[in-house]
Amino acid sequence: MASIAIAGAGVAGRLAAWQLSRRGHRVTVFDPAPGPGAGLGGQGAAGFTAAGMLSPLAELEHAPAAIARLGLRSLEGWRQIAAALAQATGDAAAAFARFDDSLLLAHPADHGAAARVLARLALAPDIGTPEALATATLAALEPALAPGLKGWRLAGEGQVFPQRVLPALAEASHARWRWGEPVATVAPGCVVTSTGVRHGCDLAIDARGVGAGFASLRGVRGEVLWLHAPGVALGRPLRLMHARHRVYLVPRPGDVVVVGASEIESADRSPVSVRSAFELMGAAVSAMPALAEARVVHMETNLRPALPDNLPCIELADGLLRVGGLFRHGWLVAPALLEDALSGAGLN
Amino acid sequence: MEDSFEAYGERLASRLMVGTAAYPSPAVLADAVDASEAAVVTVGLRRTLASGGDNGFLAGLLARLTARGVRLLPNTAGCRTAAEAVSLARMTRELYGTHWVKLEVVGDEYTLQPDPWQLLEAAETLVGEGFAVFPYATDDLLLCQRLFDAGCQVLMPWGAPIGSGQGLLNPWALATLRARLPQAVLVLDAGLGSPAHAAQAMELGFDAVLLNSAIAHAGDPVGMARAFARVVAGARAGYLAGVMAPQPMAVASTPVCGQPLLVG
Repeated sequence: MASIAIAGAGVAGRLAAWQLSRRGHRVTVFDPAPGPGAGLGGQGAAGFTAAGMLSPLAELEHAPAAIARLGLRSLEGWRQIAAALAQATGDAAAAFARFDDSLLLAHPADHGAAARVLARLALAPDIGTPEALATATLAALEPALAPGLKGWRLAGEGQVFPQRVLPALAEASHARWRWGEPVATVAPGCVVTSTGVRHGCDLAIDARGVGAGFASLRGVRGEVLWLHAPGVALGRPLRLMHARHRVYLVPRPGDVVVVGASEIESADRSPVSVRSAFELMGAAVSAMPALAEARVVHMETNLRPALPDNLPCIELADGLLRVGGLFRHGWLVAPALLEDALSGAGLN
Repeated sequence: MEDSFEAYGERLASRLMVGTAAYPSPAVLADAVDASEAAVVTVGLRRTLASGGDNGFLAGLLARLTARGVRLLPNTAGCRTAAEAVSLARMTRELYGTHWVKLEVVGDEYTLQPDPWQLLEAAETLVGEGFAVFPYATDDLLLCQRLFDAGCQVLMPWGAPIGSGQGLLNPWALATLRARLPQAVLVLDAGLGSPAHAAQAMELGFDAVLLNSAIAHAGDPVGMARAFARVVAGARAGYLAGVMAPQPMAVASTPVCGQPLLVG
């Protein structure tokens, strides 16, 4: 049994705490947030802002096959985690994660953009193959879609609900949670908080997202909108293949649809810009016309932590483990990535 | 044979210029720029500057470019009025220490076609302020002539709308530009989808080509960058060597002796 200090209570930090405390290790987690459920409106962990799509095949549009394979392994990981969280909380597993497939969509005029995306997906047939849907099948699956859209089903893909999973991971694990304590330094065998308090341990884990101690780490601005749309049915995550914008629509409990996301090379957390808002809303309404009467209940900006290759990274030294650079793939790859990181550190 | 050309008094060793948008990652972008052997790299700065500055993306790229002596060409992509483009150009000159600017002033949302009037107005202002202006224009002869008269020594007519990959939609207009503006440095910009399109532009006598999407959206951007580098150099060599004029009648390249002439 080891003593482990984790800096950062985002997706990776919480998942590590949950896994390690279940295995009997003594875990302490430090984070600036005031408590387990506080998303801080984009000022805190990026996982709260993210849509939570578990879409390994669709991510092949811009990510290498290695990401898709981590994502594929993680799909099974999330099934098990959702089941365990359900047991711990008494809620249904579907309150934490759902696996009802996802859809790729394209307007007929954007057939060129769709062909480009589908060609990239075809480069890794072992990950899966999009299934072209007949018009009637698509309409039956998602009745609120605009007529004329072309659709492809990505079987087995799903989504997590970040606002449920993040607090539940903290509450269901037997770690000590040191909320309101930002970490200044993570070094081998110790974590130093911003007030200068040194916390010694066998292994320090740096999971601070954009604040982690990697060289060449940058924050990439992302913006999302929350639309309240009572009566507009959306059964599963959708991605619109558009010539200019990369847009997804993701259902959330309470008739909420999350629309995202911009990707801007700037470490700026200021509020959502008019341009991003109207591009995202325009694309969303083009896919689901009834969303025109939805209410914009929330907008949020956050930063994706990214390394130069936009791929996640595990750095292991004696007494120190850094996990980061999860970019736009945090929820997608976290379970498999942590499994690799923890087994690398001998913490099975 | 060494073949180089000049833009605003600067000798450029490569006739390929590349953009920096929509790559899978900064690392792939940097590798693709290296593989392209481009001497000029254009970067859109509007959104980055509007969002409070660089997050390390540009600094990392610039470090790599400087090491290889690659020239930065900031662009005004996303601007819709002359005033907007001029003010962005002034900002990029101050922040990045270059008076080169690729001037883009879009007039139509769907085609992203340059607005000739706003473009000319912005070009005149910027030339007056000492900028080396690379205007992204349509293939309209009179627009290009006016831009050249305004002091734009380099012109960047489009082959097709940006990112459309359609190639040279109007080769006749582009050939006309070459014939009528022999003193201008002509860089074909936008619309190229495949290396063959770039070859076609070079064989029309264009001095260089600029492209982004054809490399960034390729399955293997680094491989595609290398392909464009070879094709642009090869097509330029072909242009200089003198491409033979086509004719309808077949001519055997080896004389056929001792064969009776067949009359059909």
